[in-house]
Amino acid sequence: MLKNRKVYIIVLLDLTYNHNIYKLIIVTLIMETKLLLKKLEGIHTIEAVMDILNVDKNKAIYYIYRLRKWGYVKTKVSSDKKRVYYIYRKNRLGGKSYYEVINLYSPIKLAESSFYKVYGREPTLEEALIYAIKSKKVRVLTAALSLFKHIDNWTLLGELTRKNHVERSVGALYDLSRKIMKTRRMTKKLRDSILPEKNAKFAEMIEGFKSKDFKEIEETWKIRIPLNKADFEDYIIK
Amino acid sequence: MINVNEQQDLLLGVAKKLKKEIVVYAIGGTAMMFHGLKDTTKDIDLVFNNEEDRESFEEAAKSLGYREFDSVIVYGAKKENRPVMLARGKGEAERFDLFNYNVISFFFSENMKKRAENTFEFGQNLILKIADVHDLILMKCATDRQKDAEDVQTIINESQKIDWNIIIEESKHQVTLGKTRATWDLCDFLDRLKEELNVNIPPEVINELINLVQKQAEEKKE
Repeated sequence: MLKNRKVYIIVLLDLTYNHNIYKLIIVTLIMETKLLLKKLEGIHTIEAVMDILNVDKNKAIYYIYRLRKWGYVKTKVSSDKKRVYYIYRKNRLGGKSYYEVINLYSPIKLAESSFYKVYGREPTLEEALIYAIKSKKVRVLTAALSLFKHIDNWTLLGELTRKNHVERSVGALYDLSRKIMKTRRMTKKLRDSILPEKNAKFAEMIEGFKSKDFKEIEETWKIRIPLNKADFEDYIIK
Repeated sequence: MINVNEQQDLLLGVAKKLKKEIVVYAIGGTAMMFHGLKDTTKDIDLVFNNEEDRESFEEAAKSLGYREFDSVIVYGAKKENRPVMLARGKGEAERFDLFNYNVISFFFSENMKKRAENTFEFGQNLILKIADVHDLILMKCATDRQKDAEDVQTIINESQKIDWNIIIEESKHQVTLGKTRATWDLCDFLDRLKEELNVNIPPEVINELINLVQKQAEEKKE
């Protein structure tokens, strides 16, 4: 790579005003960045980058800086105050995912296996909750419960709930969240409008899953909850 | 050429003009960009669930200055099920290719829709699902334009793992849906990739496809 950089500098010095050479430099730079990305795609600390590229710390920082300029790097600071670099080609796509919204408010952090990103507007907490329910994944549901601490647009939640036919899930998860954390209070109007009939048949949030610990809530909302107390180790249970 | 940011701006622009929510599937270079496999594309290739959705999109795009463009110029007169093409700008620099279920010699099947997991929502009304890389190979084989072979080469080289069974099974499924040329087109396309571009395609994949084509021919004879 160093050799390549020297070539750029020489070419730049000699032929800056030659348009074709300029194009060639850009193409070579793109190719080099792609190669760098291929080697570094994943989650790394600076030490890991140094190891992979077999370079010193300054060089490693420079390479991360270059990838960041292309939009491939997201940085997070770990609990022991170390910088962790998330280097993925998809970081370049921008937008905001519902996982990012959930991760912002939840003690349980989600890693994205597939993407659902929103452009041109800010995804709301209410939408993120509905997304979590529709994902039918235990970990996403567990993480999304913390959204109830901040949800206050009950009208929007009601609209989205009815549009996506997830009335019982929303009701059951709300009651569940009240058992493990302080939340804002759902309006009586919304609660009454989404409560199922007393003789309604049981539904399942996730096929084949039911709760041992939250039978009461299941009975109220006539839906099987795929979560137990043990799933909330990261939350402080009341 | 359209880059990642320009593509997002174009889609956002159309989304703002849409009067109702529609779900579309990205294929081709557009999908490759969303998979991080490409930096630029000549056109934005989209597949719609029905004609009504395609018309809504067309209407929104036309209100932004796009006009119809002859698809024979790009796809040739021989290709069936060519898309509605809309273009704007100097030298038709910004182009949409709008397919409805039929993508030349393939259907965008229900299985393909299920595999399109990654979703991007533009504004309130445009939900864009990205075709899976396996299906991109099949669709590229259907369009089979100048750049398609190189794109498939990139997909195979850059994607972490290609499950050839998914591709073979889908081509068989396409035959049952009525696209009788699907296995033949795929077999021919992959064979050319292997021979001309030296792409790493396991020989057993091509053998299996040849067997399928042979079986299909014998069945037709009977």
